Amino acid sequence: MEQSRAHAFDEFVAARWSVLLHLARLLVGGDRHRAEDLLQESLVKLWFVWPKVADDAPEPYVRKVMMRAAARSGQRRWWGERPVEQLPEAAMAGDVSADVAERSRLEAALAQLSPKQRVAVVLRYYQDLPEGQVAEALGCPVGTARSHAARGVARLRQLLGNVTEPVQ
Amino acid sequence: MDHFERQLAQMMRDTEAPAPFEPKHRERLWAGVRVRRRRRAAQRAAGSVLAVVGLSVGLFLLPGLVPRAEPSRPGPQPATSPSSSAPHATPDASPSTTPSSDTSTAPASPDGAVTIMPPGTTGSTATESPPGSTQSASPPSTSAPPSGTATARNQPSTTSPSPITP
Repeated sequence: MEQSRAHAFDEFVAARWSVLLHLARLLVGGDRHRAEDLLQESLVKLWFVWPKVADDAPEPYVRKVMMRAAARSGQRRWWGERPVEQLPEAAMAGDVSADVAERSRLEAALAQLSPKQRVAVVLRYYQDLPEGQVAEALGCPVGTARSHAARGVARLRQLLGNVTEPVQ
Repeated sequence: MDHFERQLAQMMRDTEAPAPFEPKHRERLWAGVRVRRRRRAAQRAAGSVLAVVGLSVGLFLLPGLVPRAEPSRPGPQPATSPSSSAPHATPDASPSTTPSSDTSTAPASPDGAVTIMPPGTTGSTATESPPGSTQSASPPSTSAPPSGTATARNQPSTTSPSPITP
């Protein structure tokens, strides 16, 4: 029983890892390690409710946990980082490409938003969620969620304006 | 949704890089599950201990807060006079009479002396008898031996002079 449950959980995580990790990167503003931490905490919470949500909708549950944790991340003072003498991973030489450059610019711009503005923008424009669900995820009224999204987009417009100009 | 917003949404979707779920991710994930399981077990144990301690303290303090329901002292029995209870019975002739009835039928004088009253007479009339009267020192007319309590109380009154006499 426990083995089959763990096997099904592993299959789900392996199938959705890439998509969920991308969402986590957008939610935290591009930091890959923080994104992995956020995703792992959400998946650990999913494991303890797996018998209840496995047959229904495990992915929306993980997304909701990630959104709420990311929206609360502004109140968190310490992420558990510890200084090390050597970096655990070095950048690969093939990382410098046009796609990676664009992604890095986007993540850098998202990192300059406040956590709630970032979550509101990601939920609104990447997840295509209506304003009501964005407000529910943020735990605030609809008007406040709309304000967060509008201010976040305005800030991104300033930061990415020259990049997203349509090419003539 | 204007042009910039559409491009922003497209950029968010296009920048998704494939990231395989590696064995190190799996090990880290299950390590996190084990840590969280241990933490939840510890929290549950701590909660149980706190509940037991709270109940123990509550039960220890509770008897001091609730007033005890204990039987009180027996109330004072009604005073009965010889005339009302048994007009013809003398204290010495009725062994079944309780000592309290004897004391009630023999009122004490102001200085604490007890005067034996003859049957059929009240205490007030006996104590207010004129000096020299033989009523206060008269022995009981019955032949039955008095009870121990009555005898002990009758002895001093027969030998001591009447306290009212000047």
